[in-house]
Amino acid sequence: MARTAVMASSTLLQRVTPYFYIAPAIGIACLFSFVSMGVSLWVSFQHYDAFAGGSQFVGLDNYRRALFAEDSYFWLAMRHTFAYVAMSVVGTLLSALPLALLCLRAHYGQALFRTLYFLPSITPGVVLALVFFHIFGNYGQLLDHAWSALPALALLGVWAGAGYNMVIFLAGLTEIPQLLYDAARVDGANQWQQFRHVTLPMLRNTLVFVTVMTIIGSFQVFTSVYIMTSGGPERSTEVIAYSIFLNAFSVAGQMGYASALAWLLFAVIFVFVFLQMRVFRSRRIYDE
Amino acid sequence: MNNEMKTTSTISLHGRAVALTLMVLGALVMVYPYAYMVGSSVKTRKEFAEDKTSLIPSRYQIGEQIAHARGEPSALDWPGADWSVLRNYVDAIRYGHIDRYLANSFIYAVVITSLQLFFNTLAAYAFARMQFWGRDVLFGLLLATMMVPPAVLLIPNFIIISKLGLVDTTWGVIIPGFAGAFGIFLLRQSFLNIPAELEHAARIDGCGTWGILTNVILPLSKPALITLGMFTFMGSWNMFEWPLVVLSNQDFYPLTVGLSLFRSETGADWPRVFAASVMGAAPLIVLFLVAQRYLVGGISLSGMKG
Repeated sequence: MARTAVMASSTLLQRVTPYFYIAPAIGIACLFSFVSMGVSLWVSFQHYDAFAGGSQFVGLDNYRRALFAEDSYFWLAMRHTFAYVAMSVVGTLLSALPLALLCLRAHYGQALFRTLYFLPSITPGVVLALVFFHIFGNYGQLLDHAWSALPALALLGVWAGAGYNMVIFLAGLTEIPQLLYDAARVDGANQWQQFRHVTLPMLRNTLVFVTVMTIIGSFQVFTSVYIMTSGGPERSTEVIAYSIFLNAFSVAGQMGYASALAWLLFAVIFVFVFLQMRVFRSRRIYDE
Repeated sequence: MNNEMKTTSTISLHGRAVALTLMVLGALVMVYPYAYMVGSSVKTRKEFAEDKTSLIPSRYQIGEQIAHARGEPSALDWPGADWSVLRNYVDAIRYGHIDRYLANSFIYAVVITSLQLFFNTLAAYAFARMQFWGRDVLFGLLLATMMVPPAVLLIPNFIIISKLGLVDTTWGVIIPGFAGAFGIFLLRQSFLNIPAELEHAARIDGCGTWGILTNVILPLSKPALITLGMFTFMGSWNMFEWPLVVLSNQDFYPLTVGLSLFRSETGADWPRVFAASVMGAAPLIVLFLVAQRYLVGGISLSGMKG
């Protein structure tokens, strides 16, 4: 009798145990993502002041202000963000992929190059921003002009990410079967043709992965703007993440408005997130 | 490796030399900002104001040394030229409390990393080895949290933390970071690769679930655990926007936020800021050099294996 009771309780315990294992992780992960998104959506319909504690429902007014108001900086910030993203993607593809190809070709010192090129990825963004604040100041006052400040920030982003993306490209390159190159050479393909018709197609998934990750990352650029330009000169480096930060934490009572900006940013990023999920799925099929 | 060798064997010596040269030039571009940072951190204020671009402080340059030896005016006559190399570092600690910020960063990084490893291991083990109702749905839900961009979460996370009464506390900085879908995903992959027979054998030997976890699973998953630990440690060490928003008490500032504050406090005393920057960047670089194979392996893993 007692024995069956013990057994019953142990199976119940066994059935519940997995939930104890996953509860803390799932709880925190969901609280600070999905619940958080819900809070953000709710706040975006309010005039909200987290410091004063007051809130008032205003419907879509925050979105209307962001999208249509005369004094809205949303479109300006979005333009700058898109320009930054475009420069980052082009810069990354034009630096990281050639570096990976060169690294393979150089043959010697690959480990050393990997280490050196990787340094920026393990350095706090604040430190990089402080150093480049001077380097850009020393060579042409890049941060003092409205036309060059944003490209300078993008250059820092590309420089900092080059090693990381190079490592990803290296992994993709070494997975291409040598057989394909041999076959191409037998068919009389020169170096360029081998790159164009073997390397690029075989690297397609890696290319999409790096591109999408760069896009998602640069849409959220903040640290370098905060440290190096504070959005200036003449608002030329005011990007959307900085706009959100300013409105939420520097101007009282604008948290609702800033949340509306955040949701608009999310809508844009989501397109790319969706793309990323598609790529993950296609990659898995490709692997199998 | 074999593959790599074959690729390179077909490349001409000339092509290899060009590639090597370009890679070395690129490496110089990578290292220059670090050399600039270290060089500037040992300059006096006046040296930095007079010469912002050189990598070596003027009082250490040969020309100035010769001029000084000849009795001509030189940088060695400038005020502060007798400063020791580490003067700015000492000052950054004394006036900028960089030591406190470093300690805070260390605490944040260690606590977040430990919590991540602990809770992610539990969750990953359950997802990899246990059967329970709703498992796949919950795992999918967890993966979906990775798709939410951090910039969008800044405000609502702050609101949640403030509702919990944790604004301006250490836990306010730590809590949102202590579980992550990426870590669970990484560990689960590693756990799945461990043969189930080992587990059965351990169970026959009288191990419970907990015993299996500590005696079989964890020792065999060391690389994945170290990779996740490194990623988490670096991520927590480098976080900036979140602590900037949550904290207002300087005593709790991590290095990144403290550095930004020190820069605005000191005004034009850039050499000191550079000294503080070197101290902020050095710990991670040392950690990286010690354990880089795990990190690089992890990047390939996260980037390529989906």
